[in-house]
Amino acid sequence: MEDKTMNLTTSVSSDSEEPNCCPICLGPMLQESYLDKCFHKFCFNCISRWTKVVTGKHHSPLSSVKCPLCKTENFSIIFGFDGSCFQRQYVNEDFEDSFILSRAHRYRLQCYYTEQGILDDIFNVSRYWKSHKHYQPNSWLQSWLKREIQALIQEEDVDIIVHHIVGVINASLTRREQNYLIKTPEKKQEEEFNMAVSEAARPFLGARTERLVYEVQLFLASGLNIEAYDAVYIQRLGWSSPGVNTQASHSEVLDRTTVIPYLYIFDEDSDANE
Amino acid sequence: MQASRARLFKEFKEVQRERSADPDIQLVCDDSNIFKWTALIKGPSETPYEGGVFQLAFAVPEQYPLQPPQVRFLTKIFHPNVHFKTGEICLDILKNAWSPAWTLQSVCRAIIALMAHPEPDSPLNCDSGNLLRSGDVRGYQSMARMYTRLAAMPKKG
Repeated sequence: MEDKTMNLTTSVSSDSEEPNCCPICLGPMLQESYLDKCFHKFCFNCISRWTKVVTGKHHSPLSSVKCPLCKTENFSIIFGFDGSCFQRQYVNEDFEDSFILSRAHRYRLQCYYTEQGILDDIFNVSRYWKSHKHYQPNSWLQSWLKREIQALIQEEDVDIIVHHIVGVINASLTRREQNYLIKTPEKKQEEEFNMAVSEAARPFLGARTERLVYEVQLFLASGLNIEAYDAVYIQRLGWSSPGVNTQASHSEVLDRTTVIPYLYIFDEDSDANE
Repeated sequence: MQASRARLFKEFKEVQRERSADPDIQLVCDDSNIFKWTALIKGPSETPYEGGVFQLAFAVPEQYPLQPPQVRFLTKIFHPNVHFKTGEICLDILKNAWSPAWTLQSVCRAIIALMAHPEPDSPLNCDSGNLLRSGDVRGYQSMARMYTRLAAMPKKG
């Protein structure tokens, strides 16, 4: 039988009087969640159960599910929106990035949930700019930044993004034109650096951009390699869990934990299951 | 409470509240079993079913609304997409095009729409389908009207 359907949206709205009720259970919306393309709203449990029913019927893994209301193909369920952050569950979790965060990644992510500035007494960013240390190339920057981006956007393949941002960082750190050097005070150089890197990183990191730019400068100012830098940071964080040692920062083999691809992990969560 | 029960209860309340909202559909839940419903639907006007009242039987699965209800005609009807003996209905939304946003009420509306717009290319009633496919609309209409008179209208005393 071919398309013999009526306009679902109108037929449903007349069935459900309450303005904020879920079209699947017809009850009040519990854990509001949205489909990522059409933004129709459902209870999280309702839409995720429906998604499982639909994907369970197919032998090959599906990457999208039709909206029960408008039939638009959607690829993920957005939920847990609290004004600034949200979580996302892909229709096909295997297909999408179920990137495995190592402990080192998780420690880095944790850093982004602690107040900025806990290391300011150890590493001095403004002295770094004043002393023109930024002309010395930092050979660890690339791998450090790769881990940083992986932790923040929770995807494994970030090479293009890293390459892009490192390019901007290096270009902006090493401007050596005579005029620029003499005429531009350190403060101005620092600001221009901030602007350039923010602009490069924002499309990928959104609200986390400013903090990343700060963390980049902190790392550069430390002049340390990744191992040593992690050791100092972890000590200050009080992240004394035995798994995070200098080994962990290099090999991501230790104690891997699968995470649902959240956009952000909450403070309480990251330590809870240890 | 089980999700399907909770949802059927919501639909039940909705049906009670809006009894007069759709005069063509009268949905009734079985007194003892919320998974069994019957509906009386009016044959759409300007069709051979006009003037008839058709009874539908709903069997709602435990997984409802993740799975569609099973619906069949209890009243005999001559229609390409309804099995003449069993009353089984061939309608996409009751099979693979089901969406949990449908309700029993909206399923009734879809069935009324199907009565007005038969799909002779996927027939459950081949005789009826063949009449339409061969272009004999009058033949189909008079057969359908006859069965509407015989089965779906009150007997004239």
